[in-house]
Amino acid sequence: MSSTSSDSDAANLAATLRRVAAGDRAAFEDVYRRTSVKLFGVCLRILPVRQEAEEALQEAYLSVWRRAGTFDVAKGSAMTWLITLTRNRAVDRLRSGGKVATAPIELADDVPDPTPPASTLLEIGEDQQRLAYCLGTLDGGDAGLIRTAFFEGSTYAELASRAATPLGTIKSRIRRALLKLKDCLS
Amino acid sequence: MSVALPEDDELLAAELAFGLLDPPERQAVEARLGSDDAFADAHKRWQGYAAALFDHPGEAPSASVWRAIEARLPANDIAPTTPASLRWWKAGTLVASAAAVVLGVVAVQKPQTVIERVPVAQQASAPMVAVLTGKKGFVTVSFDPASNRMTSAVTGLDLGAHSPELWVIPADGKPRSMGVMNASAPGWAKVPALASSVMAAGVTIAVSVEPVGGSPTGQPTGPVILTGKLTTA
Repeated sequence: MSSTSSDSDAANLAATLRRVAAGDRAAFEDVYRRTSVKLFGVCLRILPVRQEAEEALQEAYLSVWRRAGTFDVAKGSAMTWLITLTRNRAVDRLRSGGKVATAPIELADDVPDPTPPASTLLEIGEDQQRLAYCLGTLDGGDAGLIRTAFFEGSTYAELASRAATPLGTIKSRIRRALLKLKDCLS
Repeated sequence: MSVALPEDDELLAAELAFGLLDPPERQAVEARLGSDDAFADAHKRWQGYAAALFDHPGEAPSASVWRAIEARLPANDIAPTTPASLRWWKAGTLVASAAAVVLGVVAVQKPQTVIERVPVAQQASAPMVAVLTGKKGFVTVSFDPASNRMTSAVTGLDLGAHSPELWVIPADGKPRSMGVMNASAPGWAKVPALASSVMAAGVTIAVSVEPVGGSPTGQPTGPVILTGKLTTA
């Protein structure tokens, strides 16, 4: 999936990550300069308290430094790799408090997915616009369940317990939504 | 763009990307990524979709975040090095080991004379070394002022679930972090500017026991277990 940046930017970021893997600190600083605004947005989405988000961002970049050698351009874009790694660090921190795992989820069907208003859509990339549109086509709370899984690190089992719904019901509901999402996106 | 995958596999790839699987199942599915290209492609596609859930353009973190990251970078890079760096690393390690042997002998005999013999005027660009000793183990450090790089090697130090962190303590008595060391292998690193600016013959170099990844405060938080003086090689 391409991102908002041009293909040459993406190739350049991948090449810079390879230099980070070789222990090049100037390259690391370059990666930070180019990606920290976006990745801080990722942390803030998961950890709304600014200080927590900044600490997660620190941890994320230290992981980037240590794990840049595991980035494989054949397995996805550099930006997606960075976002995934940052999301994982932020979710780890969110969950270390222990409250998330038991916070109840409301499964009401009439909860509309919070689709961003058109004015916001203009500022985000094509991929995000398409995804926002497709999530909007899902039934009631299904998009919300997918977001909760991703932003709060809740697995099927935890979603089921938080929504006080049988595991089988939650699974089939999300799987149906994922297939619908796939058809819409491809 | 899509490879026709069985529906169950397509779902598994999506479930992995959105973090829906429990740890044992996740590990089993992750293992497939390395061996099943079509599955890995589907996962890559879903990971891109999942990343697009972050629809906010983002905002700038405060400047202190980068400073904190830089201060916590390990002194010993565990990442593989470039050929050029590798050459430097090898040369530096040789200097450090040779110095360790020489200084080890001298230090045992009369440590004070080692320090006093070093004219401060020589510090400008000559490589410097330090042998840090304590109750257990020792550490050798060599520092090249021209490039602000150092090599370090640890011998006989097992800190378990803690990290050894290197500090330079100049005449003002305030420790500046040189970074976290890899206790299991020698390595090289650029010394952070705050520390390299005070590196000179005669300053104290110390190792403290810190949480994994280094001191969270920027100052030593655990006991100092090894110390030594920096001297021209």
